[in-house]
Amino acid sequence: MIELSKIGKTYLTGGVETPVLHAIDFTVEEGEFVALMGPSGTGKSTLMNILGLLDRPTGGTYRLAGQDLTTLDDNGLSAIRNKRIGFVFQLFHLLPRVSVLQNVLLPFLYTEPYPPDAKERARALLQSVGLGERMNFKPNALSGGQQQRVAIARALVNEPSIILADEPTGNLDSVASGEILEIFDRIHREGRTIVMVTHEPDVAAHAQRVITLKDGAVASDERRN
Amino acid sequence: MSAADIALDVTSARRSRAKRLRPVRMLRLARHAAGALWSQKAKAFLMMIGTAVGIMLLTAVVGLSAGVQNRINQITAFFGPRSIMVFAGGGHLHGAGGRAEAGTTLKLQDAQAIQNQYGYEAVVAPGIFSGDTNVKAGGVGTQTHLVCSTPDYAEAFDWYVQEGAPIDSDDERSMARVAVLGTTVATNVFGAEDPIGKHIFINNVPFVVKGLLTSKGTSAMGFDQDDRIWIPLSTGMNRVLHQDYIRFIRMKVRPDYKVASVVDQITQLIRQRHRIVPPEQDDFRIITPDFIAQRVQSMARTTELVGGALALVALLVGGVVLMNILLLSLSERVPEIGLKRALGARQRDILVEFLSESVLVSLFGMILGVLLGLLPVLLIPRLFPMMPMAVSWKTFAYAALFSTGVGLLFGVQPARRAAKLNPVEALR
Ligand SMILES: Nc1ncnc2c1ncn2[C@@H]1O[C@H](COP(=O)(O)OP(=O)(O)O)[C@@H](O)[C@H]1O
Ligand SMILES: [Mg+2]
Repeated sequence: MIELSKIGKTYLTGGVETPVLHAIDFTVEEGEFVALMGPSGTGKSTLMNILGLLDRPTGGTYRLAGQDLTTLDDNGLSAIRNKRIGFVFQLFHLLPRVSVLQNVLLPFLYTEPYPPDAKERARALLQSVGLGERMNFKPNALSGGQQQRVAIARALVNEPSIILADEPTGNLDSVASGEILEIFDRIHREGRTIVMVTHEPDVAAHAQRVITLKDGAVASDERRN
Repeated sequence: MSAADIALDVTSARRSRAKRLRPVRMLRLARHAAGALWSQKAKAFLMMIGTAVGIMLLTAVVGLSAGVQNRINQITAFFGPRSIMVFAGGGHLHGAGGRAEAGTTLKLQDAQAIQNQYGYEAVVAPGIFSGDTNVKAGGVGTQTHLVCSTPDYAEAFDWYVQEGAPIDSDDERSMARVAVLGTTVATNVFGAEDPIGKHIFINNVPFVVKGLLTSKGTSAMGFDQDDRIWIPLSTGMNRVLHQDYIRFIRMKVRPDYKVASVVDQITQLIRQRHRIVPPEQDDFRIITPDFIAQRVQSMARTTELVGGALALVALLVGGVVLMNILLLSLSERVPEIGLKRALGARQRDILVEFLSESVLVSLFGMILGVLLGLLPVLLIPRLFPMMPMAVSWKTFAYAALFSTGVGLLFGVQPARRAAKLNPVEALR
């Protein structure tokens, strides 16, 4: 599904080059649940942004389902993000002015053609994350855990192939984290590919595979069954 | 399964590279933008004030212009579009109140000379108007306007009798004491009785009523046109007013000839006859519908120019304010833009969304401005009937044009800035 070969990323700020990622090589199969670990500042988020097509690597190739994505233009990348990639952020990133339901529908603003069953899909997803009764609430009226569940519903609404979650439980207490991880387990069982960044080993324990980055390179890659 | 789908999506994304936005998508984005505005009503209101004030002024100015045009059309219709009036007396007609001094130099012979030379090109009716003339019949007395003019008066003014007979050339030649009444005088003096054949005293001179004019009603300037009596010019000059000069020559130019060139020719002719050599002042004035239109227009022009300039300034200031509020609020919305890009918004989607906001704000400002601007347009003519103001389709066309223009022009920079944001940095 995801094939990275010699992915490098060097930031250029004020004429100074800051190499962040060095020759990252790994493959993620369809349906895998991968945890990405490593100390702070090691380049996990940078790598996630590249995986999510929000950023371009400065070296190497990124293939998705066998397709080289490095040659796509901004419009093409946006279309793939919209249809194939679901993001879950540490800070939820919900739009405060619109309802929970409208938040979940947001990706469809950019989907062509607009699916006729958009609302039904959004409602069903909110139901499945236990927010069926809160669809018309504003996000601020919800707890952190509930907000993150809305964000997960939003990430899933366009039925993407890959879910990218950058520290999705980083801002939650352990109870709310548990609920979120349960949902991740379920969508993993449903066959979706997940890459999740985390600092906590017990969170990483939900994944079958843990890739650890150190100083911008893969330090270890462990599978367990 | 999923992999094949992705492959398909990627190839289609690569192939289409579609930059164009479908109308449905734009509509969707515009609706979303409307929601964003609705959630920030106070700010949206601030953003629309400038446009509203500008459009309000614009509406008032366009209302004035339309009113002036209406007034000109009315006056032209009243005056007769192919008509020329030569008035005795020089000087210039200033505004509504100014009066040129009366002259005694315009003579019947001038009219005859014009008739001899330009009889093919125009109907020529010389005459005298005399206001506040006493008329009396059977003990009932009143005041009216006396018109002394030749038989051509009827054709020159398109004014015919509805009953009896008009003044004819025999009357003119013989200085007959016959009169044709306007309907107002007829009713004032004779009530419901048929006036034809009755005796009437004009300045104590006895006349016989021979005809009744058709009714023309109240003029565009607000006076009763039917309050008049028409008698032969010769009778008027010799038996009633005792004067050897006339006060006007009315001409109606025939369709094949140009009013302006007739005006030029008779100007030359009268100057020659009166031995006037420019820069000496003329002792007569020639008035045409064009001349009146120019006067009315020039009276309104200053107001139009000042109002139009103010409207433009308000629109520009409003646009700059709009742009700056948009730029300021952009910083608050950076994470939102990052999120939308992550969810699949193209740069162009963000651009359209932000432009929609500024255009929608301007359009709401336009609605407010048109409503406020229509107030004076509708009220002023009721309070001051002489002020020309009218609602015209142009009001709405200009308002829509200018407000959309302001929205696009001043929304483009903030929208481009939003679209160009780096999604990764925006999300941080
Ligand atoms: N735009 C940028 N310009 C320069 N350096 C950057 C930029 N973004 C991130 N970095 C640097 O890259 C490194 C990795 O950052 P990040 O990927 O956020 O790490 P992690 O998510 O693992 O904590 C950090 O040292 C950070 O300072
Ligand atoms: Mg990070």
